Amino acid sequence: MKSLLHNDAAAVIARATLGAVFIIASADKIAAPEAFAVSIANYRIVPEAVNLFFATILPWVELLCGLAILFGILRGGASLLLSSLLVVFTAAVVSALIRGLDISCGCFTQDPAAGRIGWMKIAENAGLFVLSTFLFFSTSVKFTLEAYLAKRMHADSNPS
Amino acid sequence: MLILFASAALGFFYTAVMEKGLFADPPPPALAPNTPALHIISPEEARSVFESGSALFIDARAEFDFNLGHIPGAMNLPLKDFDTKKSTLANLPNNKSLVTYCDGTECNSSLELAVKLQAEGFNNVSVFFGGWRDWQAMGLPTGRAGQ
Repeated sequence: MKSLLHNDAAAVIARATLGAVFIIASADKIAAPEAFAVSIANYRIVPEAVNLFFATILPWVELLCGLAILFGILRGGASLLLSSLLVVFTAAVVSALIRGLDISCGCFTQDPAAGRIGWMKIAENAGLFVLSTFLFFSTSVKFTLEAYLAKRMHADSNPS
Repeated sequence: MLILFASAALGFFYTAVMEKGLFADPPPPALAPNTPALHIISPEEARSVFESGSALFIDARAEFDFNLGHIPGAMNLPLKDFDTKKSTLANLPNNKSLVTYCDGTECNSSLELAVKLQAEGFNNVSVFFGGWRDWQAMGLPTGRAGQ
């Protein structure tokens, strides 16, 4: 297990996958916050008045976390935030399924006829949760902006 | 924390500049002005319409659910397949009204399908909002795949 946490290839693949998924997922929501607010409202969990508030901020959290994970900056905070979001998203989907709601997920597209919620979505979220939790504990800094900047600073302070 | 603050700032800035979301103009009415309001029918009305044979029931659920059980004589037109199966609408009898339904009050597919049908020019469309659950609860006849 410890060796996996030091494994550069696993970390790079996990970062690329998780980063790409959240960057792609944020695009449609950023373009159409009103439609995303409707998707949130369909879950019937939060009061109507705050749907648009969440729809304004959440896509940007996804985008910035996705970029941070992909480029390797603020990795700890970004992966922790994504893990928390995935727990919340999964709880919402489970709650909707238990209540028998036949609604679209609102995850990657805001088209009401696409991507209905189901147990597959929970499995998908579980996979992403594993990746984000792995990245939180991973010690690898291979191909990260953090490592690159640290190297540059070190070179600048030791010109010889 | 930094990501959260940056997200909030970017989100509000972007929506303000683009006049979207919280900063958008008041939304238009749910249905276009020329679209007739949806006619919702009760389970009793659905039964009466079914028994008179004056309407064609259209099941908006997925094919899998439809095959497990549906209102006898109903046509399956899943909302997500509407665009690809739209050509079948040409075969609908024009002397009958259309009644859409889905699982029940927890789903919106019947409403969305009715709106799409109206947009296609069908004026006599009703929504049986109680749907399949109310139909079964009333002990009315049911059909299965192939019936």
